[in-house]
Amino acid sequence: MSILYVLIPLALLLLGLAVWAFFWAVGSGQFDDLDTPAMRIVMDDDKKPEADEE
Amino acid sequence: MNSETCFHCALPIPSGCNLTVDIEGERRPVCCPGCKAVAELIRDTGLSRYYELRDLPDPGVGRPPEEAAEWSVFDGDDMLAAFTEASGDNREATIYVGGMYCSACSWLIETTMSKQPGIESAEINPITHRLRLTFPAEGASLSAYLARLADLGYQPQPLSPESTARPEVVEQRTALKRLLVASLGMMQVMMFAVGLYAMDYQGIDPDMQHFLRLVSFFVTTPVVFYSAKPFFTSAWRGVVGKKPGMDLPVSIAVGAAYAASVYATFTRGEAVWFDSVTMFVFFLTLGRFLEMRARHRSIDRSAALSSLLPNTATRLDETAHSVVPVSQLRKDDRVLIRAGEPIPADGLLASGSTSVDEALLTGEPRPQAKAVGDELSAGSVNLDGMIEMTVTQTGSDTTLGTISILSERARYARPAFVTLADRIASYIVVALLVVATGVATFWYFADPDRAFVITLSVLVVTCPCALALATPAAFAAAGSRMSQLRLLVTNGNAIEALSRATLAMFDKTGTLTNGMPRITSVLVVDNNFTEMDCRLVAAALEHASTHPLARAFAMQDELPSVTSHEVVVGQGIKGIIDGNEWRIGSAAFVGGAAGPSEEIATHVLLGVDGSVVAWFALEDELRHDAGETLREVRRLGLRTALVSGDNQLAVDEVAAKLEITDAHAECTPEDKLAIIKAAQERGERVVMIGDGINDAPVLAGADTSIAPAHGALLAQTSADVIMLGESLEPMTTAIAMSRKTMRIVRQNLAWAIVYNAVALPLAAAGYVPPWAAAIGMSASSLIVVLNALRLNRFE
Repeated sequence: MSILYVLIPLALLLLGLAVWAFFWAVGSGQFDDLDTPAMRIVMDDDKKPEADEE
Repeated sequence: MNSETCFHCALPIPSGCNLTVDIEGERRPVCCPGCKAVAELIRDTGLSRYYELRDLPDPGVGRPPEEAAEWSVFDGDDMLAAFTEASGDNREATIYVGGMYCSACSWLIETTMSKQPGIESAEINPITHRLRLTFPAEGASLSAYLARLADLGYQPQPLSPESTARPEVVEQRTALKRLLVASLGMMQVMMFAVGLYAMDYQGIDPDMQHFLRLVSFFVTTPVVFYSAKPFFTSAWRGVVGKKPGMDLPVSIAVGAAYAASVYATFTRGEAVWFDSVTMFVFFLTLGRFLEMRARHRSIDRSAALSSLLPNTATRLDETAHSVVPVSQLRKDDRVLIRAGEPIPADGLLASGSTSVDEALLTGEPRPQAKAVGDELSAGSVNLDGMIEMTVTQTGSDTTLGTISILSERARYARPAFVTLADRIASYIVVALLVVATGVATFWYFADPDRAFVITLSVLVVTCPCALALATPAAFAAAGSRMSQLRLLVTNGNAIEALSRATLAMFDKTGTLTNGMPRITSVLVVDNNFTEMDCRLVAAALEHASTHPLARAFAMQDELPSVTSHEVVVGQGIKGIIDGNEWRIGSAAFVGGAAGPSEEIATHVLLGVDGSVVAWFALEDELRHDAGETLREVRRLGLRTALVSGDNQLAVDEVAAKLEITDAHAECTPEDKLAIIKAAQERGERVVMIGDGINDAPVLAGADTSIAPAHGALLAQTSADVIMLGESLEPMTTAIAMSRKTMRIVRQNLAWAIVYNAVALPLAAAGYVPPWAAAIGMSASSLIVVLNALRLNRFE
């Protein structure tokens, strides 16, 4: 079981990394919009224009 | 009505308009060339899905696009420096997009903008309505992007970089971080706790137990000191202010459990509760996060007020004049304002004379004459001449800015009902602390080993969070849903008052009617003149008048010139045209008989040299959905009444059409107020529906008030609910919605009370371990919040 003395601190290190990454992501504004990304997945890419492009 | 509304903006289609747009293979009717152009633009860029995705037709989209030339000023180097930030080889601009209401708008804007030449990325935040564009520093044109947004029918407004940090965004970011720390911490500690519990049964190496506890301590510490920090500060504020809130027992429970666990960890004591602490904090943070999101959604688009200001102004310098963004105006600048342009800042009229439309600020629909030295207010519209103005105040210092700040503050003010719930909660908190002390004392003598655990459970399980959240969560959700349904609630008390209303009292002009009289017929009795002659003469005479009826006469044609123009207040207008004295106004003033027919409610006579030439019949048309709405209001069980300052005939006509039996004509605001007071003494609860232009005290005197949103913004601030758009129908939604909201509030309160009544005895008797208490308390709060969020799906 003494491997836990290594593995748990390692897990904590990864945890710290995850928290740091998330803080960075929040700080850079990636989580400011929590509504549209959820809808984006169900939207098709644009349809072919019916008229000629300008 | 549906078949006759515009496919794009849902406003009624004027008769005789045959414009259509082919979308998804069907011909859709539209109301005006502006809507047609926008709908075609959306279709031609392949974005027709916008129409499937949007929540409701957008009143903002479809306004005639602004002149493209206006945007070109944003291409200058100094403008780019002022409105964009450099990031690498690119520049970033933040643009406030006025007129967006739903996720479909943000999708439309993002998709369109990211296809524009040069755009690296386009991201819009639907909460703050801010669009962030990244484009190359060289070769891209900000003005083209702004023009494109304007073509879509939105009102873009570039923001200087320092004004982009919005408090909601900062709050949401911090809350997200706290939530993440709490959730990750909870998961980790839970994992170690499983190990600790399992090893309790199987026997555990004391060193390993100590190690796991140390690790748990290590992970729990940031959860307590970072994620739970708002609870401690708020609890402390409550103690200092002698108004203990629900955060106090929470803080005591978290603080005590944490301290006891830390003590047990380092003294190798009996038990630790790190798992309960982290779970408790996580669920509390989650509840607060959901509540915050509901609140943010309901933040009104009061920022949209600033989009009423023009983007640019013409500044006069020594030598030349230059077009500059409004944000660059400074005190003592001289600006040139052409007829029809909005006034960009507060200032003094420096040269020229004109009349301005100040309806936005004062609610006064009549043009106000201004001479040199008079004050001009930002947001009002210069109607007549070209003028020069010396700037005195700019931006948020202007009257308009102050109003927008005031109305924002009103929106954050807490309704009395919520404050009451808070006060009750604070009594409950004190009662709880007393009970917890009692329980602790009892168990200290009965079973000292379990005293701490049981007291902890009591504190956690009975936390009155659900009670305190019951009302605000429902109100926040209702406010947000109502704003999606084109209703802005400016006063939280409105929801409660509206749910109990028994009498709907309507104002006539501008509420049941469109407020814009029209000439319905002209009866010419003097054969020397044609109808056109009469109209032209009338238009020329009325041109100088500020009477509401005068607007009905306005014409685009060239008017005959009038000399010796004189307005006789309350009677009419006279003036000399080609040597003859013409008069327009009441029968007595013009000198004719009372009128050709008694049927016509409002008529005006035109005469020359003492003999009558023509009668004009005027009518103020009913709103298209007035009849429908009144039937619906009666179906909801409210009585209807009509009060108006207009004459008996006009009021009777409207009352007959709308089947209102209780109609009062020729009321002064005092009369209206007296009628309301009399109704209230009969035990009625009155909701007043009026634009509040001349009767702000009447709106305030009613139990609650609803105002249609045309024009007068200041008047609206005295109304509790504002209806956006041209229809009356939202008011029935408001009544139905408020009833539903109060039902949910009652459900929530009932649930919170039942839960506490059951949980407290169980916990005091020692049947609830701390972790179960944390789950129970959190679940009860979450149920309350989720129940409130059901309002978001109303209708």
